[in-house]
Amino acid sequence: MASEAYITLTDVVFSRSGRRIFDGVTLEIPRGKITAIMGPSGTGKTTLLRLIGGQLKPDSGTIMVAGENVPRLRRKALYTLREKMGMLFQSGALFTDLSAFENVAFPLRVHTSLPEDMIRDIVLMKLEAVGLRGARDLMPSELSGGMTRRVALARSIALDPELIMYDEPFAGQDPIAMGVLVKLIRDLNSSMGLTSVLVSHDVPESLSICHYACIIADGQIIGEGTPDELRQHPSERVQQFLQGQPDGPVPFNYPAPDAGSDWGLTGGAR
Amino acid sequence: MMDRIAALGRLGLDIVATVGRAGYFLGGALAGVPKPAVGFPLLVRQLYSVGVLSLAIVLVSGLFIGMVLGLQGYTILSDYGSEAAVGQMIALTLVRELGPVVTALLFAGRAGSALTAEIGLMKATEQLSSMEMMGVDPLRRVIAPRLWAGFIAMPILAVIFSVVGIWGGMLVSVDWLGVFEGAFWGNMQSSVSFADDVLNGMVKTVVFGFVCTWIAVFQGYDCVPTSAGISSATTKTVVYSSLAVLGLDFVLTAVMFGDF
Repeated sequence: MASEAYITLTDVVFSRSGRRIFDGVTLEIPRGKITAIMGPSGTGKTTLLRLIGGQLKPDSGTIMVAGENVPRLRRKALYTLREKMGMLFQSGALFTDLSAFENVAFPLRVHTSLPEDMIRDIVLMKLEAVGLRGARDLMPSELSGGMTRRVALARSIALDPELIMYDEPFAGQDPIAMGVLVKLIRDLNSSMGLTSVLVSHDVPESLSICHYACIIADGQIIGEGTPDELRQHPSERVQQFLQGQPDGPVPFNYPAPDAGSDWGLTGGAR
Repeated sequence: MMDRIAALGRLGLDIVATVGRAGYFLGGALAGVPKPAVGFPLLVRQLYSVGVLSLAIVLVSGLFIGMVLGLQGYTILSDYGSEAAVGQMIALTLVRELGPVVTALLFAGRAGSALTAEIGLMKATEQLSSMEMMGVDPLRRVIAPRLWAGFIAMPILAVIFSVVGIWGGMLVSVDWLGVFEGAFWGNMQSSVSFADDVLNGMVKTVVFGFVCTWIAVFQGYDCVPTSAGISSATTKTVVYSSLAVLGLDFVLTAVMFGDF
């Protein structure tokens, strides 16, 4: 990888409820680029973001973000590091008792002592960046799904972070809203020089904007590279995922006992 | 047999783990005191939603319980020609027992369940997670103001309950049933001790307020973030709070008034 790594995961092992989610994952996420992390549902893509953000601790391995080993950080240092991060949650996670304006103003009010008129200007600039300056007074319940994510995006860039993580930004969006989000992610990355980590299983949209991508399955990275390299990847599992084939190395059927025994054809049916 | 022993062991481990998490949670919430400029408005807002919005149910319940006490007390005491003692009976019953206990039960049902549901929904909609990712500790920002509001509001509500209850008792026994007003107030004044009765009652309200609020905010914070999880956590808040209040009431009463 040509660019310097902003995030480095080394031999990360993480288990939950007795199930191993990551089994020795090693990954470098370059500074200033968009990196897409893709994979089937339930493979731990969101968990990976939570590990990077320090909301979860790995069983073993190191997670370096901006030169800091996240799992080893003490509470205060972790919260300070998080001021350099923004995260767009799948649901938007706007504070339901605050208007769109106040949601975006929230991190500024908490982390800075800027005067009110300056906060107002910054919030309106951030809302303008996502095309929602006119929706400043709306409450979250009055926003559509796409607008909610755009307000959440404005909030996550309010403090001009170095890193922004997107958790399934395209899930459940109509084509127009999806197009808007794709444009915003690309534009914000280039204009603010952000390091962007995009978790998604929407292959065409993700590959259209990312500089680098990796595919996670069964606790490991099964393929990584630039979008073109991934499209040419020799792994059948990678190709099954990219082309959306219903059956292949990842079986269509969930593991089950012999069908004959279930229908009482071979005896021993329950 | 072995399965049952194993299940019992698992249950024991779960209980110990939950108590440990609750203690750690309480420590985190109490340790992180926000700056006054930030924390005070948050506290005032929570005092409104936890305290002021519970006033109606406390006032109405206090009034009716006082009126029932007046009626029952008069009926029993008049058999012995001691209806003049109804004032002291109402006051002692309310100040020592019913004020703290009934207010705590009402508080758990009204404010406690609301706290659990609100925090649980914030968890389910990832608002708490997003706060963490913005570098804001939800224990300090969300939990601590609610915890302190509960601690402060509950004793005040209990005092209001007792005062309104005594007034309701007076309405029935003096204004309706004709007990001599001077005897009603005089007996009350001479038999209710500030140190032994009022202060001990206040200690109970502080303990109950602490326990009910702790249970409520912890259940919300620790719930499974689904609709079924929030529903279960809300139910647990009311059940655990009620049982804790009744159990602690016996313990506290034994300690305070058990000097036979």
